Amino acid sequence: MKKHIFNLIPLYFISLCLVISSCGGGGEEDTADKTMEKMIDSSNVTIGIAGKMFIIPSPIQTAILIQKSGAVYDKAMLNAPNKVNSYSTKFQKCLNLGIYGADLGYTTLYDQTQDALAYFKSTNTLAADLGLANAFDKNLIERFQKNIGKKDSILGLVSSAYRASNDFLKNNDRDEEAALIVAGGWIETLQFAVNIMKTKGNEDVKRRIAEQKNTLNNLIALISTYQGNEEYAELLLKLNDLKVEYDKVEYKYIYDRPVTDEATKMTTITSKSEIVITPEAIQAIGDKVTAIRNFITA
Amino acid sequence: MKKSILISAFLIFNFSFLIRSHAQCDTIAAVCAKHVISPYISDGQQYRALLLADQTAEFHATFYGGGTYRIAACTGLKDGNLIFSLYDEARNLIFTNKEFKNSPYWDFKVTSTMDVIMEATLGGTQSGCAVVLIGFKQ
Repeated sequence: MKKHIFNLIPLYFISLCLVISSCGGGGEEDTADKTMEKMIDSSNVTIGIAGKMFIIPSPIQTAILIQKSGAVYDKAMLNAPNKVNSYSTKFQKCLNLGIYGADLGYTTLYDQTQDALAYFKSTNTLAADLGLANAFDKNLIERFQKNIGKKDSILGLVSSAYRASNDFLKNNDRDEEAALIVAGGWIETLQFAVNIMKTKGNEDVKRRIAEQKNTLNNLIALISTYQGNEEYAELLLKLNDLKVEYDKVEYKYIYDRPVTDEATKMTTITSKSEIVITPEAIQAIGDKVTAIRNFITA
Repeated sequence: MKKSILISAFLIFNFSFLIRSHAQCDTIAAVCAKHVISPYISDGQQYRALLLADQTAEFHATFYGGGTYRIAACTGLKDGNLIFSLYDEARNLIFTNKEFKNSPYWDFKVTSTMDVIMEATLGGTQSGCAVVLIGFKQ
């Protein structure tokens, strides 16, 4: 029997009501109620929509593709690190922590040590503001400085720090913030790709832009969970506006039987996908991505 | 009276399950992270679900062509307690670790970008926190 955990949430809620009603009033009970409510809410964090969870690819993956495309380092397309103090709301801080994380990944991939340090400081500032000191702790700072110049080590450290942040936020019922950080990182690397397309043009990068169709749907599903807030509603509106353009991207998938090698614990997936995107659609997607990115970083 | 005792017992069981499972998630994630190490780079996220024996968690993701992905899936403190299966968007089965002694991790070399669905279920235990981590290398 397949049953998603989402179905259990009303059960726990009803259970909570029953327990509360059987306990009567009083201060201690109030405290207990809050604890239990928090516990129940926290069960929600494990679930996306209707028992599904939506995974947004790491921004580092697209940054790697951009670097491999032969595009030259372009500092101008990054969010200036000194803007970090202009973000006052939690919404802005989370989104821009994602943005700066992607910028940090980009500068690291291009071996831009000084810029990477500046972005590391910006991510550190926002992380501290958001109470993520555990993820971006003194130990990480020391390791970062010690490994400057070692690209793989730095990327590993940054990814670990973001995963630790993600863990911390989810453990503390702050899934909304975790989702915003992921959204910021996604938008920033898509903006990189759009910029490369405008200045250089590259088939791989064009394809990667088109490939974001499903990820955008996943991101909308993720953000939709929190749309009660006005700022989220505006972001969602813009993402849905972008979706209108992505709906014009044609995607075809052809299944092929995968090959699994037990000895190496590896499955090779040889299925093929074809994506068709017109120059007009690329242009329109680019414009809307830029608009969203400006909305976030303004 | 008997009915209310039964209801109370049921509720206590459910709440204690929630408390225990939530506390377990952190520890399990730490154990699971040992499977996503260099040359794999973590995607920076942790995916978790509190499950009972008959439940399935479903994860939707996109794998980029040309990349190699590692999926690590854990519950409990020992390896091999979580069954995970990977499907393509048409629900063709790509892989299930059930055929490989519930291996706690597996690698996927992806030729062409594709949307995937991963399902995770508990392999033997009655309840627990399922943790999934994803790493990649280009």
